[in-house]
Amino acid sequence: MANPFLAIEHLRVDFPEIVAVNDLSLAVEAGDVCGLIGPNGAGKTTTMRAISGLQECTRGSVKVGGHELASEPDALKRQLGFMPDFCPTYDQLTASEFLDHFARAYDVPNRAKRIEECLQLTWLTEKTNALCEELSRGMKQRLVLAKTLLPDPKVLLLDEPASGLDPLGRIELRKILLQLREAGKAVLISSHILTELSGFCNTAAIMERGKLVTFGTIAELGQKMSRRQMSVKWRGDGEKALEILKNSNVKNLEAANLGATFNFDGDTNALDELLKTLVVQGVRISEWRGVGDDLEQIFLQSGAKELM
Amino acid sequence: MKLSENPIFITQKRLVRRGGVLAAILIAALVGASLLSGLIAYLADPTNFPSFKSSQEAGKMFYGWIIGVEILVLVVGGFSRISNTLVNERKAGLWDSNRLTPLKASQLVTGYWLGSPLREFYMAAILAGIGLVIVLLAKLSITLWLGTQILIFSTALFFGLLAILVGLVLQKPQAGIAFIAVFFLLQMPSFAMPKYLLTNFLLPTYGIANLFRDSVNSENDYSMHEWSGLPEIFGLPIYPLVLSLALQTIIGIFLWRAAIRKTANPFQPPLLRWEAVAIFGILLFAQHGLIWDLWRGQFPTAVLYNKYFRADSNAPILSIVHCGTILLGIIILGAAGLQPEVVRIKILRLGIKNLRAIFSESSAALALVLAAVSGVILLAQFTASGNSDSWEIYFIALLNLLSFFLIFSLLLEFCRLRFRRRALGFVALWLFILCVLPFILAGVFTNGAIAKLSILSPGIVALADSNNENLNNLLGIVAGHFGIVVLLFIGWQRQWKQLLARAV
Repeated sequence: MANPFLAIEHLRVDFPEIVAVNDLSLAVEAGDVCGLIGPNGAGKTTTMRAISGLQECTRGSVKVGGHELASEPDALKRQLGFMPDFCPTYDQLTASEFLDHFARAYDVPNRAKRIEECLQLTWLTEKTNALCEELSRGMKQRLVLAKTLLPDPKVLLLDEPASGLDPLGRIELRKILLQLREAGKAVLISSHILTELSGFCNTAAIMERGKLVTFGTIAELGQKMSRRQMSVKWRGDGEKALEILKNSNVKNLEAANLGATFNFDGDTNALDELLKTLVVQGVRISEWRGVGDDLEQIFLQSGAKELM
Repeated sequence: MKLSENPIFITQKRLVRRGGVLAAILIAALVGASLLSGLIAYLADPTNFPSFKSSQEAGKMFYGWIIGVEILVLVVGGFSRISNTLVNERKAGLWDSNRLTPLKASQLVTGYWLGSPLREFYMAAILAGIGLVIVLLAKLSITLWLGTQILIFSTALFFGLLAILVGLVLQKPQAGIAFIAVFFLLQMPSFAMPKYLLTNFLLPTYGIANLFRDSVNSENDYSMHEWSGLPEIFGLPIYPLVLSLALQTIIGIFLWRAAIRKTANPFQPPLLRWEAVAIFGILLFAQHGLIWDLWRGQFPTAVLYNKYFRADSNAPILSIVHCGTILLGIIILGAAGLQPEVVRIKILRLGIKNLRAIFSESSAALALVLAAVSGVILLAQFTASGNSDSWEIYFIALLNLLSFFLIFSLLLEFCRLRFRRRALGFVALWLFILCVLPFILAGVFTNGAIAKLSILSPGIVALADSNNENLNNLLGIVAGHFGIVVLLFIGWQRQWKQLLARAV
């Protein structure tokens, strides 16, 4: 990658008894949403705190928008927005006062207009004058996201942004993240709930016990997968299809009404070949998909064992 | 950035107003008005208040109450407010959110320092205003009002900076109150010799009491005589208000730097090495300056008397200074000592793994420097005393300081390495056993010899008793203390080796 918005090289963070992050390197480009995936205690939050400068690094370098954390922390702060996994708000301030506090701190030009924009973006316009303590957890989370977006940072670090959100809140968050992706932001988003991240992450980094297990675009990681669970549906007689599947490299084949599920050992090309065979042999395929989302499959294939 | 544009200050102001400021102002006004009405009642009919000899005396009493409440509100309340705000905002994650903004550390500190105690400032302003009316009605000197208000305000600012540091270091809000209680308790013994002990100037008790005493009393009035007159530094008289302001400003600058550093990087110790040595040196220099004239050419007998004490009062002033030096050393060593984990990360970063490098980073090295500084200042005092008999006492005092500083610094690091979060509890336990327990046992068994086992004793005994015949005995006890230093050093070394083995 030429000049990624976020570049981490050989990052190491030590805690008294453990190495919380060990030799982590990854890069997130403009318009990328990178899912930082791993079980609890994998080092996701520590990584984000180290990138933002809240956690001291033992070794390694962090660059945000070309600014090095160690030598240009002030310039880096202006390029970075960090949303922690809880929602720190001043309970006795209104939503607009809370945003005004940070708008002043970031010296945001045209403060009132920008606050309004951010409230609009996070669907909080109606709550402009509500005290923070009166907001629900989901609203607080959106308010903190609005605060993070205020200075229009190039890089966003979102630590478990959907935890505690109701389904509607998650849908809204997903929409916001897609907007940010379209706006060309580099987003690093952590979660241990993979369904949260699927659909808008185009790259993924899987961590376990402080180490990076795998990192790349979803497509690249998909290519690397050697085993996946598939679901196929057809129209008409399925006997031929079942026979082909039985004779190919599939395991745990389970036939269902006008379809089947199976595990496939092999790369994407081999899977494409199997589909081609079915079609050539006259099976009328109506659905051909992986079971579970891509990220879940990638995680299961990554070698990381301790999800959830 | 102007204070009125500082986002932290603006937010703290909003929070104070939303939390309700009117009730606080009314309480202050009510307290002030009751005291003012008391004075007015006296002025209207003095015969109802036979205990007051004059309107000035009545005015001083009522104004004294006003500034008492003002100190409670502004100094104690302000300290508590700032430290609580910081501890709570750190817990809530707001402190980190603010640190991630481009605001400078100095802007963050200023915002909390002046913003969070705004309610207390408003209350104090009301009380100060009523105080001024009392002073004018009672025909007291305006310098009394001005001087006391300046001292209270400067002390509130000084304590505010301390509160910032406390709030940045401690985990529980209540700890701030405990800190201030300990601070005031430690102040109490110095009331016995107010003009000669530095704590009475760092906290401006002498300055305030002196303004009350000297602003009205005639020369023939001997009440509170020990609070009368100007203190002297190396024989030069100085106004107590000036001395207090100078001390608070100098130490305040170091506190400010520490708060800024801790805000910018919470992993650094509050004090740098040179700052630790400078604070220690300045305070010790000023303290010995205050007792300079009391000693010069008269050591050690003059220690026991001064013009205000009776010949048999046996005031062990140098022993108190010695204890104060030890206490100051402990505070400085604790504040400047690096956490072992910080040293470990530094070692990992630099790839150095030898114990010599560790020792230079350790507070044990600083302990040697502090002992050397004490030695130089004490040497000046002893040289000026011009009594050759005092040299043995000088060396016992110096060796006692050295052994104590080494024991404390090694003990602190050993406990931090061995017990981690519980370290301070274990340090307190060991200090209690080594310092206080022998005195308690000596009291219980009515055997003074046991008290000499305390690591405080050699210095105290040598410096308090001009006719001590058992100086060799004291040297033996000091030698025993160095035995403790050696044992601690072995344990310290072992703990570091274990930590270094893990530093991969």
